[in-house]
Amino acid sequence: MAETPYAIEMQGITKRFGKVVANRDITFAVRTGEVHAVIGENGAGKTTLMNILFGLLQPDEGTVKVAGEPVHLRSPKDAIRLGLGMVHQHFKLVPSLTAAENIFLGIEPQRYGLIDRDAAIAQVHALSERYGLRVEPTAIVRHLPVGIEQRIEILKVLVRGARIIILDEPTAVLTPQERRELFRILNGFVADGMTVIFISHHLEEVMEVSATTTVLRQGEVVDTRPTASLSKSELVRMMVGKDISFDRPAHAGKAGDPILEVSDLWARDDRGLKAVRDVSFEVRAHEIVGIAGVAGNGQGELAEVISGLRLPSHGAIRLNGTAIDAASPRAIRDIGLAHVPADRMERGVDRDAPIRLNMLMGRHHKAPWSRHGWLNSEAITATANDLVKRFDVRTDSVDRAVKTLSGGNIQKTVVAREFSQEANFLLVDQPTRGVDIGAMTEIHDEILRRREAGQAILLFSVQLDEILTLADRILVMFEGEIIGEVDPTTTTEEEIGLLMAGVRGDAAATQGSPGLPAGAA
Amino acid sequence: MRFFRSTFEQSIALLLALVIGSLIIVGIGENPIVAYATLLDGAFGSPQRIAGTLLQSTPIMIAGMAACVAFRSGLFNIGVEGQLYMGGFAAALIGFSLPLPWFLHLPLAMIVAVIAGAAWIAVPAFFRARYNANEVVSTILLNYVAVLLTSYFTIFLFKRPGGWSETPPILESSMLPTLFEFSRLNYGLFIGLALAVGLHFYFLRTVSGFESGTMGSNQRYAEYGGVNIRAKIFRMMLVSGAIGGLAGGVETLGVHHRFMEGFAPGFGFDGVIAALLANANPLLTVITALFFGMLRSGSLLLEVDTTMSREIITVLQALIILCVSAQVRIGRRGDATAGERRWKY
Repeated sequence: MAETPYAIEMQGITKRFGKVVANRDITFAVRTGEVHAVIGENGAGKTTLMNILFGLLQPDEGTVKVAGEPVHLRSPKDAIRLGLGMVHQHFKLVPSLTAAENIFLGIEPQRYGLIDRDAAIAQVHALSERYGLRVEPTAIVRHLPVGIEQRIEILKVLVRGARIIILDEPTAVLTPQERRELFRILNGFVADGMTVIFISHHLEEVMEVSATTTVLRQGEVVDTRPTASLSKSELVRMMVGKDISFDRPAHAGKAGDPILEVSDLWARDDRGLKAVRDVSFEVRAHEIVGIAGVAGNGQGELAEVISGLRLPSHGAIRLNGTAIDAASPRAIRDIGLAHVPADRMERGVDRDAPIRLNMLMGRHHKAPWSRHGWLNSEAITATANDLVKRFDVRTDSVDRAVKTLSGGNIQKTVVAREFSQEANFLLVDQPTRGVDIGAMTEIHDEILRRREAGQAILLFSVQLDEILTLADRILVMFEGEIIGEVDPTTTTEEEIGLLMAGVRGDAAATQGSPGLPAGAA
Repeated sequence: MRFFRSTFEQSIALLLALVIGSLIIVGIGENPIVAYATLLDGAFGSPQRIAGTLLQSTPIMIAGMAACVAFRSGLFNIGVEGQLYMGGFAAALIGFSLPLPWFLHLPLAMIVAVIAGAAWIAVPAFFRARYNANEVVSTILLNYVAVLLTSYFTIFLFKRPGGWSETPPILESSMLPTLFEFSRLNYGLFIGLALAVGLHFYFLRTVSGFESGTMGSNQRYAEYGGVNIRAKIFRMMLVSGAIGGLAGGVETLGVHHRFMEGFAPGFGFDGVIAALLANANPLLTVITALFFGMLRSGSLLLEVDTTMSREIITVLQALIILCVSAQVRIGRRGDATAGERRWKY
């Protein structure tokens, strides 16, 4: 067997889903006996890569080596045989069984052909003792907190003989105390010579627990570096893209009256956790306010609350002077909202419906597009044709289903629909996600034209350069809070990077120099 | 064009089902050609038999419309059978208890059937709309409650004096007129056809229908576009239940003229399947309902003329469902999906 310091080597891995490239030519190696973090934004390809490593997906190109040997992972069974184990983000336990029964599910220790309960319990005790993974073997899983459920998942992996453990976003559901406990356990594994691969998009955790970090962005490896050599701002830059363009178009108008006023706003996410915390700001006419931040820091929830798709738990929102915090999406639109949603396929279109109906959604119930409850096909087609022409959506007919369009043209369809509303407030969320340069420029120009026309624009984007190019003021969100405001004409990427990493504005101002040591927070 | 193409695809699947069915018939020891010929003869062999086929198709068609309304809105009302029983019972109750002139009596009995169907789905509808509780489970379970509850009412509260477990006959003033002397076929057929055409235009041409269809296709998009999702879910489920109740009312007022235990065996379920096979398209549901009606009416002669049991029809139905749904899966890869097709007819 080849001598190698690496437990896992992935070489030239490429994985496509249709036209989407989830992983492109990914090469990195994990040393035996270390915690190796794989970090990247949502959609950077982390989970796909780990599913390939665990045999759940087959790569289109590239090889995987385990302990120096090239292997063919056709299914998780192959991976388990090679000593790999995976703890998924969403636990897969049977709630009505005990901890021990879950741990040994499918591989129950037997005696005279019967399940040997005592042996199972003894083995759980032994492993618990050894790694400090305290679990009561006879407890029913349904009654256990999430942190313990995760330990059961880890024990499941251990009793199947894993020496290389993959944890996919393991801290997403944990309290800070449970998180600290988990890190202690992981360090115990490493001390015992095992290897841990730790997937996350949380900088702090990666800094705290890992020895080496691989950064993924848009399906590609940005770099693999010893964690100690990385600063937080550097990590953020690697995650969100390093080429920040300051090529800002001239802005003639002066900001006018406030159009959107948000004060003391709180909201919860789908799991009931506080996702928006005490957010206050306003957007004025003739102004683009940018909201920057690493994806998943409450931006999505904030956008939903403003557009009426999520109820705030506390706080006030006023649009054109009217309170809208309990208003319906339709009522908010009538008061003056146009909304380009972050996920065009999920929120922005009915992919199976023709372009003409998608173009008029949201005002389809008004004249002339409908009368007395009946849709007016001629008016809808005429308006849709007009919009297709004005916004240069590439299609031969508005009768075609939206899904026949390319991603960029679908986005232009959404932009055309929303930007042509009679609204003076535009909520624009990730307006150019996944579109090509051409469509991106057109959409950016359209946003700037709206500002000149006197509309108020709130721009959410995880792409820093987009916000730096377009926004007049930038608010940075971190863990649901607006952690700081910067002026795009004078800010540095270090300053924004530190804010995005959760370092407070005043600290950033005094320490915002290149070569900042890690953990400056 | 697509209409013909998809009809062609469905026909291939149908043919495949009949071929597999003939293997089974051979296994039983009968000649499949004779069996199918007998089936067709039983369904279409005389004006009486054709009327019989249409008679069997009517409740399936109306129940299918109930299912279409729900499916197109992204809701799964599998409880049409239960709504049909409630509607059938309610219509009988009005029919035999209130002496009224016909122009009041018949409409009133139908309206009460509609209300009974809607009332029967109201609880699942409320929990689906308010708490997102799965409507499949709740509507299925209420089927059993409806069948047994109407039996209880019939046997213990409203039983006709004498033998059978049935209510007294309804008064003539509440009967749906028949179309011919020689058959119980009645104006219910036209109610079904009118519903199909009405729903077709509702989904394609009206604001409310557009919003319902959009909700069924992408609920989050509909919400974003200003549709009040909760209210819409509640309303569309009630409408679906109401049509289910109407199916039962038509069966009572047009065919049996009384409510009796097991008066409409499986019509609600057949309607649900007819709508599924038709991709929840109301016009195509007419065709699938006629097909199921043909199988039911043809099977009577099949039982008389051959050694086969009527149950062979259930086997054939299951085979058809399998083949058609498998074809839907295979045939749609990279092609227009079910969702897109709904805009094409």
